[in-house]
Amino acid sequence: MLPDWKRLLVIGLLVLAFMAAPMVIEIGTGSLNLLIMVFIFVILSQSWNIIGGYTGQINLGLAAFFGCGVLVTHFVWKAEMPIYLAVIAGGLSAVVLAGIIGLPTLRLKGAYFAIGTFALAEVCRIVVGNIFERMIEMPGSYAASYSLIPRYYLGLTVAFAAIAVTYFITRSKLGLGMVAVRDSEQAAQVTGVNSFKYKVYALLISAFLAGLGGGVYAFMRLSFHYVTAVFSPIWTFEPLMAAVIGGSGTLIGPVIGSIFLVVLSEIFALTLGEAHLIIFGLLFILVVMYFPYGLVGSVSRIRQIISRVGRGLCETGENCRKGF
Amino acid sequence: MEFVLQTIANGLLAGALYGLVALGLGLLMGVMKFLNIAHGTFIILGGYLSFWLFNLWGIDPFLSIPLVMIAMFLIGLVFYRLALSPLLKLPDVGMRIDTSMLITFGLIWVLDNAMTMLWTPNVRTILTSYTGETFRFFGARFSFTGLCGVGIAVLVGLALYSVLSRTYFGKHLRAATQDAEAASLCGVNVQRVYLISTGIAIALAGVAGAVIVSSYSISASGGIGWLLIAFVVMVLAGEGNINAIIPAGLVYGLLEAGSVLIFGVPYRQAIALLVFVLVLMFKPQGLFAKRE
Amino acid sequence: MKLLEVENLSKAFGGVLAINRLSFSLDQGEVLGLIGPNGSGKSTLFDTITGVLKPDTGRIRFDNKDITGMASYKICQSGIARTFQLVKPFSRLTPLENVMVGRAHGSQPARNIKQSRIESKQLLAFTGLGDKHSGMAGMLSLVDRKRLEIARALATRPKLLLLDEMMAGLNPAELDNAIALVKAIRDSGISLIVVEHVMKVIMGISDRVVVLEVGRKIADGAPEEIVNNPEVIRAYLGKKPYATN
Ligand SMILES: Nc1ncnc2c1ncn2[C@@H]1O[C@H](COP(=O)(O)OP(=O)(O)O)[C@@H](O)[C@H]1O
Ligand SMILES: [Mg+2]
Repeated sequence: MLPDWKRLLVIGLLVLAFMAAPMVIEIGTGSLNLLIMVFIFVILSQSWNIIGGYTGQINLGLAAFFGCGVLVTHFVWKAEMPIYLAVIAGGLSAVVLAGIIGLPTLRLKGAYFAIGTFALAEVCRIVVGNIFERMIEMPGSYAASYSLIPRYYLGLTVAFAAIAVTYFITRSKLGLGMVAVRDSEQAAQVTGVNSFKYKVYALLISAFLAGLGGGVYAFMRLSFHYVTAVFSPIWTFEPLMAAVIGGSGTLIGPVIGSIFLVVLSEIFALTLGEAHLIIFGLLFILVVMYFPYGLVGSVSRIRQIISRVGRGLCETGENCRKGF
Repeated sequence: MEFVLQTIANGLLAGALYGLVALGLGLLMGVMKFLNIAHGTFIILGGYLSFWLFNLWGIDPFLSIPLVMIAMFLIGLVFYRLALSPLLKLPDVGMRIDTSMLITFGLIWVLDNAMTMLWTPNVRTILTSYTGETFRFFGARFSFTGLCGVGIAVLVGLALYSVLSRTYFGKHLRAATQDAEAASLCGVNVQRVYLISTGIAIALAGVAGAVIVSSYSISASGGIGWLLIAFVVMVLAGEGNINAIIPAGLVYGLLEAGSVLIFGVPYRQAIALLVFVLVLMFKPQGLFAKRE
Repeated sequence: MKLLEVENLSKAFGGVLAINRLSFSLDQGEVLGLIGPNGSGKSTLFDTITGVLKPDTGRIRFDNKDITGMASYKICQSGIARTFQLVKPFSRLTPLENVMVGRAHGSQPARNIKQSRIESKQLLAFTGLGDKHSGMAGMLSLVDRKRLEIARALATRPKLLLLDEMMAGLNPAELDNAIALVKAIRDSGISLIVVEHVMKVIMGISDRVVVLEVGRKIADGAPEEIVNNPEVIRAYLGKKPYATN
């Protein structure tokens, strides 16, 4: 692992590069769309990572928070509020929803939390489908002045904010408590960690990010033919896959996983069609079974093996004390 | 009045099916502690098998059930060998449940999309000469296929009950569940018992699929909806309480029908799911739990 | 002064009475040895004291406060720490992070993360894990995981520490280290209840010994009295509870 300041430097440079990119080079519409989707996936998978990866509570209701963010952002924006306020409203509404869903379900243990959140997200989907007309859209004037560049910057900002939030959580007392709860709730409790409180905090933060992700999506897509589509379980499952494949419970795992999933989907979808989803499914199963720390973990595992071999060599060699 | 009677009738017909749908899930989770969230997807797979047997060779969907069961049983064996048996090495049951949940989650992806590719995303149903025929009892109308479904649910439920409680196999399975190590010391081949039980669980999903395709319809991505129903029924019955699953299915069916009476069709599933979450929170041991 | 008072405590699992109307107390600064055959309810007693299980009847007072039925984390924050007989490390965290959890959340939490890191390193050194900061705690040897349990418990700054069979399976050299560690903990002013099967240990470090049999207290007194108590000898199937050496 790089020391903290070096990591921050790397991240800072990356942000600058992404900020400057659209100004320096001409990015095609297709690529811009793809990048924005990557940002949305980074936000969602990082959101899932906070509650699922770091706190160990497998949340299958992410779609409800995302969908709530989409809807609220859409309507607040339509009410002629500035988009950034609308997105924040989307995030906050997801927090409220998480309070309603989370306070009861977080009392459930293990797989029952997963089942409970899944069921409540479905309730949300059904209720929303019954309340709203099928199609919602922004007035034509918004479509006339549509440009992808502001979407790109909003996505970029929120994605890096999500990474930053996760980074600071993992360095805090809250983060320590969360991972302790994940590894053994009982041991965490007798070590002074109020596990329920920490699970609630993790869920609320996670929901806020998912709601913001919904906001970015609402900004990107001006109209939705089927409102229920943004509450579809797909919006839970794909970010979960991205987080797990990349490495859940790590900071960059979900980022890697998101890039991997979105970009490869794009490439495979053209060449393989539906079959690419089967490949992702198989890959996911393999990662769960053999690489519990995902792609990121397997890299550091390989590095560990190399360094062990290296150390073995050093013990016999003379002048390679700091070889590896 | 007639409307109320009809609602109850619908609730009972649907409820028996719901019980059938949950049997395989309940067997894997309640007895072996594998949470198979691809259960609904296996149900759909069973439905497709039945559909193609009917379409290609004209085999009646109710008569082809044994064939579907055998095919699904074999699929279950492969499923156990590849996906579930490695999990027995995990240090505790909680991890086994969580990991099996994630693995079968990936499996949904694989199967859903494979089925979409093979059989298109279209909705499929079986239309026989007797589809749509109804009987009247006590002023309520019962569909013929629905009644067959009830018959099969009860039959399969009873068969499972007797296998689990009356045979050596059932005894071995329960022994393996309580203490795998002790059971294998007593000569129970735990791996084999689990292998066969998984086969049975998947075969049960197949039966449910066959019944569904003949009285309702299936589509490649419809597994999730049936999975949720199976979850609800399993939780209502109480985890590990296999014998209560068919009754719990009936309770759920009536509940759903009742909520249609009061809140209307659009909220049917939402109300039932809410009740489910309430049960999960306030009576996590299920409605049918035996008192200690 | 009484630090811990347990009164008329009972806990049943289904039909099994794991603890049966148990009363005892512990003075400030005392080391209490708790012995009894397997299944006599020692671990269950720790579970009820630390709020992992709710007792069916009875009262537990600690530091002049009633803590019966309180949440585990509150009991920890009011000054009781424990180890688990079946160790429960935070297995994906490093040993250092394991201890930091306690330093950050215990009864006198460190001011900030940096401070808790520094203090946690000291605790690792104190428990003999000084060189094991990184790697995953789940990968440590059993002996080291047991040390880690103690370090993590100490990190919460307890007034009372409950040790559940921390020395089972240690070799003689490790045993001597462990005894020295317990004595050092006692000397730092922490009261202890020690569950152990190795009688040499119990006799060597306890000020007083309580003996359980099927959830009941059958003896309570100085170590020398206990080994000659006929009731205790009977409970251990006619064997003397320990062979001297
Ligand atoms: N979670 C539990 N469920 C049911 N019975 C238990 C449980 N924990 C302990 N017991 C029973 O309570 C009794 C006391 O166990 P325990 O406290 O572990 O004894 P000890 O630590 O003295 O060996 C035993 O009979 C044991 O089988
Ligand atoms: Mg014990």
